[in-house]
Amino acid sequence: MSLNSVINSTFQFVKDRFPVEKLNYHSMVEKKEVPVHKMSWGYYTGGLTMFFFMIQVVTGLFLLFYYQPTVSEANVSVEYINKYVAGGSLIRNMHAWSSSCMIFCAVLHLLTAFAMKSFVKPREITWIAGVLLLFITFTFGFTGYLLPWNQIAVNATKVGLQSIEYIGEYLPGQLADVPRIIRETFQGEASVGQSTLGRFYALHVVILPLTLVSLLGLHLLSVQIHGMSQGVDKPAKKSEKFMSIFIFKDLSLWAFIFLCLFTVSMCIPFESFLPYPLLAPYNPLGSTPAGIKPEWYFFFVYYPLEMLPFWVILLASMILVGVLILTPWIFKGASRKTLGFLTILASLYLVVMTIFGEQIYELFKH
Amino acid sequence: MSFSNTETVENSKDLKQIDLKLKTNLSLIAFASSLALSFMTANPAQAYPEYQAFVEKNSKRSINCAMCHINEGGPVGNSKGQIGSLSEEELKLLSKARIAFEPGSDVHSPILNEFGNKIISAVGKKKFLEYKTSPEKLAAALGNESDLDTDGIPDAQEYLDGTDPLNKFHGEPVKLFWINLNRCKTHVILTVLAVISINFGLLSLVKGISSIKKK
Amino acid sequence: MTNTLLFIVLPYLAVFACVIGSIYRTRKEPMSYSSLSSQFLENHGLMWGSLPWHLGILLILLAHILAFVCPGFWQTLTSNQVLLLSIEAAGFGLSILCLVGLVILAIRRLTSPRIQAVTTPMDLFVIALLLAQVALGAAMAVHCKWGSAWCSGTTTPYLWSLLLFQPDLSTIEDLPLIAKSHIVCAWLFILIIPFSRLIHLFAVPLEYLFRPPQNVVWNNSRKLKEECSAFVAEDTRRHFLKAALGIGFGAFLLSVGTLNKVFNFFFGPRLSKKEETELMEVKLAHLESTVDQRKLELERQASNYIMVAALSELNQSSGKYFIDYQMQPAIAFKGKDGLPLLISAKCTHLGCTVGNKVDEQGRILCPCHVSYFNIETGQPNAEAPAKAPLGHLSWVIMDERGSILASRNLEGKTACSVNQQALANGKVYIAKSQEDKT
Ligand code: HEM
Ligand code: FES
Repeated sequence: MSLNSVINSTFQFVKDRFPVEKLNYHSMVEKKEVPVHKMSWGYYTGGLTMFFFMIQVVTGLFLLFYYQPTVSEANVSVEYINKYVAGGSLIRNMHAWSSSCMIFCAVLHLLTAFAMKSFVKPREITWIAGVLLLFITFTFGFTGYLLPWNQIAVNATKVGLQSIEYIGEYLPGQLADVPRIIRETFQGEASVGQSTLGRFYALHVVILPLTLVSLLGLHLLSVQIHGMSQGVDKPAKKSEKFMSIFIFKDLSLWAFIFLCLFTVSMCIPFESFLPYPLLAPYNPLGSTPAGIKPEWYFFFVYYPLEMLPFWVILLASMILVGVLILTPWIFKGASRKTLGFLTILASLYLVVMTIFGEQIYELFKH
Repeated sequence: MSFSNTETVENSKDLKQIDLKLKTNLSLIAFASSLALSFMTANPAQAYPEYQAFVEKNSKRSINCAMCHINEGGPVGNSKGQIGSLSEEELKLLSKARIAFEPGSDVHSPILNEFGNKIISAVGKKKFLEYKTSPEKLAAALGNESDLDTDGIPDAQEYLDGTDPLNKFHGEPVKLFWINLNRCKTHVILTVLAVISINFGLLSLVKGISSIKKK
Repeated sequence: MTNTLLFIVLPYLAVFACVIGSIYRTRKEPMSYSSLSSQFLENHGLMWGSLPWHLGILLILLAHILAFVCPGFWQTLTSNQVLLLSIEAAGFGLSILCLVGLVILAIRRLTSPRIQAVTTPMDLFVIALLLAQVALGAAMAVHCKWGSAWCSGTTTPYLWSLLLFQPDLSTIEDLPLIAKSHIVCAWLFILIIPFSRLIHLFAVPLEYLFRPPQNVVWNNSRKLKEECSAFVAEDTRRHFLKAALGIGFGAFLLSVGTLNKVFNFFFGPRLSKKEETELMEVKLAHLESTVDQRKLELERQASNYIMVAALSELNQSSGKYFIDYQMQPAIAFKGKDGLPLLISAKCTHLGCTVGNKVDEQGRILCPCHVSYFNIETGQPNAEAPAKAPLGHLSWVIMDERGSILASRNLEGKTACSVNQQALANGKVYIAKSQEDKT
């Protein structure tokens, strides 16, 4: 292939994904239709994820008023928010609950999009942006978890960062050093300490939000350009206008979800699920308390990691990431039936590992 | 602080007999053996990890000494809230707390937290020592009146649940849900009404728009 | 004199005129009491003007009526500070909404020639008066704060006194001018109701909103079509009004329900002396531990020996944590030989800090993923996720004068120059290794 044809085909690729003639309000918003069929609920998952992100931004900005990212102040300031600030515990709980909900919805969104085969041409960019958004969301969770600087936060982060370095053992030659360098960059000093906190803080409140928002812009832009994918094999008989029928339905779902989130955040402190010794301020001079675990949304890799050799997990996750990113090409020809079957398998795995992971692990160990 | 050293040695002997899992959490053992040392010289020192073992078994949550003690590592040692760090004043308080055999006395032991002191003043040291063989009775003896952290779950319940009796934001999630739902009902009701009203409005909006479209 | 005229004579006159006039008008010209529609003449401004105006004024009027009819209930509402704040904020917001609506309506009346044709001078007067009245209301919200709270002690008794025919001006006499004008304006309104399109007040609200769809069928087909579309437009408008009401009311409730919880967030808490002291103590303790941490670091930079513990403090079953030259945790035990045994506490699996309690088999536990390490050899148990052994550290024992009594190097070679007795008073140190020095 000559250089010229490469350039040409690249250009054509971009042109197909972002057709200039469609870049206007009329075709992007006014004309957009949302099909109505039995999988239509899948069209709401993306909006919900965005709604939770908006809640995260608002509550996160609230928290910034009082949170202080230093090893001596972080835990005190979080305590202070909980104990003294009016509505502080509510805001903090909302941030924590909504982060879990956001991740749940993002995963659900990915699964439904996969099952509905919404990733085929011309929606490849939308899909890849979506996958990246999911990774960023997980990173949000990982970096945020450290910020309260309590036992579980710091120790879980230590383990997490150390696992990155572990990857190095399986890489050849020069590459073997890369994971260590990555870990040291994020950690910033010999062990998880002030530099780590500062870096995670910067990631969590500035870098990741900016990245997420820009990727989200790309994602939404391409969604609006190409309209909703058909989603089922037989083209739906009915459809509704995106503007303004669907969007108001979206809003009314949001209102309802807000009610649930608000009630739950007011009633159940997120930390109640953990044993209290893990919530004590981090003590660098003591032993690690028992029961260090990542957040529930990491269970699907955490428990297998505990049970199987590291390289199995490493290989599996690399394959998974590769497949996710290349999905639009790998599954180009797959039927919706196959995709649906795969989705059910994947969801089954996620649900079982998340809910029964601990039991499986105990069984496995004894 | 010679006697705290002896205690450590005592502990270490006892330790060999206990389940390993418990070893990380020495509080009650240490507490008990310090009692034993000071009052029951006739009976050789005995460790009783029963309270912690019981709570962990009963609640399936791991706990540590900080449920009743100031220091999460228990009273032995010389950090904050441990015997080795006490001032003369505090040692006096400690001795006073150690002879609070009957319920109802005002104890302010410098190695115990609010809940620990509450236990001793509510049931008395004598009963407390008795209950070590049936730690579940301690909950009944404490009664359901006292709720030090005002989270709505009585201390005795939190003891059984293995949750922090001194943290308002820590408790059995389901229990907390119902308690807080009741406490915040005005807000919940207002929000429910608001959501109903907004959804009614949005529905009308959708209807209105579709009737324009039809035209 | 003026007070009597404005606040006693005017009200009675207004109410009297209003009642008589309205009855007369509904009898005489029954078809005219709903306001003359201009919708077919000019549709554009109507929605944007009329909707906010009606929405705003309806809620505001309801609140006024509630305050005057059930002063007791109103007082309980407004005595809750947050609720009061919300009411005032909502009132102000709604009055701004009204003002915007009114201005748009006024512009529409003044600029569209087709509407001017059906506009009477009275209409213009009404709009001007309304503008003034709403502006006064909004001004009150800003200048005479908490009107919704103090009205139950001033205006409400005054109105009741009028109603009971025992006029009593004492409660409103010293009200600010804005408030007085607001009241006078209100009476003027009542006065002109029968003479203007305001008469539709009695016709509109509920029936207009929720009446079932009805349609008059003409037998002329062109008329029929026109009428149908008018009907649909009317129907649509009804939906929109419902929507606006629902959303507006919902948003109001939501702001009361949620903002009440979070509104004070930004103001910062007021702590009692005791809480403040406690907080200070906690903060200080945290700062001190950070200081300690920094001191440790500095000490490791600067000195060639770091004390771990007195040898007599060490024992075989429970180790003492300390920090090594790399700022990693390590544990000091006493070995079977009575000499120190120093072992790294950083788990070779994923770096958790290993526990310091020795079990029956002479092992310490890393709780993170359950690895047992033998303290003598440092080796993990066979099933453990950790594969590499924990390293031992070298040490020296010195007496008070700093002379070295015994030492062990990294290879595990021990050198001892004195007997056990003499060692007992020694202190255990770790020494800076060659690499650490550079
Ligand atoms: C612009 C957006 C955001 C800002 C400014 C922000 C800010 C903060 C701050 C200041 C904290 C520390 C306070 C605390 O621990 O309660 C925090 C914690 C946290 N954040 Fe965020 N955040 C944002 C978005 C997100 C997102 C999108 C997620 C996840 C999907 C997330 C997940 C978390 C988690 C899991 C915690 C720990 C919560 C806890 O343990 O209480 N955050 N965030
Ligand atoms: S970190 Fe010690 S066993 Fe995993």
